Amino acid sequence: MTARSGRPLRMAYLAASIAGVAFFVMSVALLGIWPGRVLERQVRAMSPERPLGLTVSEERGRVIYSREGCAYCHTQQVRYVHGDMKRFGAPTLAWETRFDFPHLWGTRRIGPDLARAGSVRTDDWHYAHLFAPRSIVADSVMPSYAWLFDGAPDRPKLGARDLVAYLQTLGRAREIAGPEGEERAREGCNCPDDTMSQMAFASPINASPARTRKSLDVPAFPSEVDERRGRTLYAANCASCHGPRGAGDGPGAASLLPAPSDLSAHEYTTARVADALWNGVAGTAMQAWRDHSPGDLAAIARVVQRFHSGQDAAVPDDLVALGERVYAANCVQCHGQDGRGDGSAAAELTIAPTNFGIQRPTLSQSLRALREGVRGTRMASWTARLSEPEIFAVAAYVRRFFEAEGGR
Amino acid sequence: MMSDGDAVPNVETGLVYAHGLAALATLFISVAFGILASIQLLAPEVGAGMPWLGWGRIRYAHTQGIMLGWLGNAFFAFLYHAVPILTGRAVSSARLGRWLFALWNFAVMVPGWVLVMAGISQPLEWAEFPIGVDAFVIIGLVLACVQFLPPFFSRGLESLYVSSWYIIGGLVFTLLAYPMGNIVPEIVPGAQGAAFSGLWIHDAVGLFVTPMAVAILYFVIPAGSGRPIYSHFLSVLGFWLLFFVYPLNGTHHYVYSVIPMEAQLTAIAASAILGVTVILVVFNLLMSLRGVGIFPRDAGLKLVAMSTIFYLIVSIQGSLQAQMAINQAVHFSDWVIGHSHLAMLGFATFAAAGGLVHAWQRIPWARYNARALTWSYWLLLAGVVMMVASLTAGGIVEAQLWQSDEPWLESVRAARPFWILRSLSAIPIAAGFIALLVGLTTGPRGAGLRAIDSDPVREVTPLLKRAGEPA
Repeated sequence: MTARSGRPLRMAYLAASIAGVAFFVMSVALLGIWPGRVLERQVRAMSPERPLGLTVSEERGRVIYSREGCAYCHTQQVRYVHGDMKRFGAPTLAWETRFDFPHLWGTRRIGPDLARAGSVRTDDWHYAHLFAPRSIVADSVMPSYAWLFDGAPDRPKLGARDLVAYLQTLGRAREIAGPEGEERAREGCNCPDDTMSQMAFASPINASPARTRKSLDVPAFPSEVDERRGRTLYAANCASCHGPRGAGDGPGAASLLPAPSDLSAHEYTTARVADALWNGVAGTAMQAWRDHSPGDLAAIARVVQRFHSGQDAAVPDDLVALGERVYAANCVQCHGQDGRGDGSAAAELTIAPTNFGIQRPTLSQSLRALREGVRGTRMASWTARLSEPEIFAVAAYVRRFFEAEGGR
Repeated sequence: MMSDGDAVPNVETGLVYAHGLAALATLFISVAFGILASIQLLAPEVGAGMPWLGWGRIRYAHTQGIMLGWLGNAFFAFLYHAVPILTGRAVSSARLGRWLFALWNFAVMVPGWVLVMAGISQPLEWAEFPIGVDAFVIIGLVLACVQFLPPFFSRGLESLYVSSWYIIGGLVFTLLAYPMGNIVPEIVPGAQGAAFSGLWIHDAVGLFVTPMAVAILYFVIPAGSGRPIYSHFLSVLGFWLLFFVYPLNGTHHYVYSVIPMEAQLTAIAASAILGVTVILVVFNLLMSLRGVGIFPRDAGLKLVAMSTIFYLIVSIQGSLQAQMAINQAVHFSDWVIGHSHLAMLGFATFAAAGGLVHAWQRIPWARYNARALTWSYWLLLAGVVMMVASLTAGGIVEAQLWQSDEPWLESVRAARPFWILRSLSAIPIAAGFIALLVGLTTGPRGAGLRAIDSDPVREVTPLLKRAGEPA
């Protein structure tokens, strides 16, 4: 090689080498530092003034979440995409991630996104699910984290408590910032024409289909149902807690508080089951099942109603009179004058008192509730306050409130 | 510049051998992690009660092991063979080599795995080893630069063959990029940190794995076939285009996120340009294979030829899936897992294995079993195709279910048959790697070298030169 042809080439390579480094620096500046600055400004403008960080326990839980690779199956990032928004809720804003060291966005979803998982499920649901995932969600592929427990799902060790505490924070900051927080963020965002910023505030913050709600309208359930499909769906989704025959004895039942209802020990109106399926039962591990169609839910409802084997014991009149007196003296505050679960104290209770108009316990179920109370609810044992005849009378009396649907 | 009078450079065959064995050892461990993780998705109770075998920790150990352990060691083995031949100079120091070997395997891989499985890690993709281990990786990369780069600079830049450029670029830019992905997200929160993570996720593949793998392709194709590459001009043009464009891809891992759309669009555009550039590079490589074909007889060359094909497919796939309409659907699904295995198990592993076999064959005292290596090739090829096909199909099914009104769990149920196929693909893959081990540890000593008619170094060296340069 001659020096004549070597020199220009050497200079070209030198220039290219410098350009190569420049492109790398540019990549860091353009795709790392500059977006970081934009996001930092965005966080300052859109964040509530004093957003809630994590407690020490929640931070410890976050460390567990990190080290177990939870983020490698569950993203924590709702994208600005309608499919994501429909399933999970409002897309993630930068300020919501301001305490994430490091971020846990993830790039794979085997399980659902968890950016808005906080307060969707009860703590006991999480404990049962972490201890033995398939006892709650039959077809889940999630690993068990039983070693965070002292042998049983209702005996969580510190690690499990911390982890669940952390899970309940996901999406919390934005939710408790409330409408004022959303308004501030919308103003701070200050870009009315940007479709992304419009999307950020367009959908409900949390769209989890599992989130429980109190008394919202239930869509009309079709009356024609496919019972065979109902049985399949029940086995896949409900049996893990309520048991194969509805007796409330599924593998997930043991650690849930309150325990899953014994479906065979109650007569339900379709409206009752529809409400529980569509809205869940607030305060309990019974989630809403809005990711299923009304047709499927109607089929499940029919299966649930069939668990009850109806034989009505006749109740003597004198017992009725005694039951009425006992009920008026002790039960109306919660269960209401007409047994509708709408007593003066009902609104105060996390878990709504039973509405006997739409759900009739068997006599033995009714007796059991009165004698033992219902653990995990405000329904206490009445054996100290009422005599055995009184208990029997009121147990029989509450069954009279039921109004069966016509044609069934 | 090497003339006929130059002495044949001294290849540190002991270090080629040591890194080769370490590559195989870490490969088997990493593959075992991968198989276990795939089985746990079918039978989640496997390993239950043993926190160190939890899915997440295994997943961390799998990818870090593949990238740093298997590919890292295999690349080093190749460099010990290639750098003296490319430069006519020995690497800096055999003693430094022993330190690098010890550090990489006993201060990075072993403690990295132990700590990750003990629950000390960081939840950052391609950066799961904890910061303490990162420090040793950075030291290792510095040592690698000291070891391998000086021979290149002792000659003029203008005489460098394209593999040399890839090696220099790979070592220097990995050293620059590594701290960015491993440390910055720990100190910069949330979305801001994710922007840096995105850069590293791509740079790990684009600035470490790809340059080293492509350096092997450009080396082994002429050295194994005895024919010069098709176009030196295209090779160098391709190199610079790749190095300009690769770092700009990172944000395509977070499309439709809160990261500014301008950054996302830049990365998406760069991804498209990257695809075109790879077509150029692969065109040059495939044209260089004329005469020996896509299935050459030589084991190393055969692996490298298939790696070239995988490189083309995986790059075009990557460019497509970075585009918003496709990304929106397949992102987060098994499609992407298929893509990453096509990249790391298809393209990179075939290149690394090809480079390792090529270097190993030229160690005068090393055992070599050509039949086992042929088996290895076909088993691995079958395994990769089976795995990537099942994951890609599974990803499409998942993506469709996510778009529908079906409950989330339906996508998990639907994935199961594809996951079964993916786990079954572990049989040919593991068998292929066992055959690779057999190919390199059985057979008569020196059998590999005897199979080559020509002088491995003297006749190869003129091929690894720029056009117009007197041999």
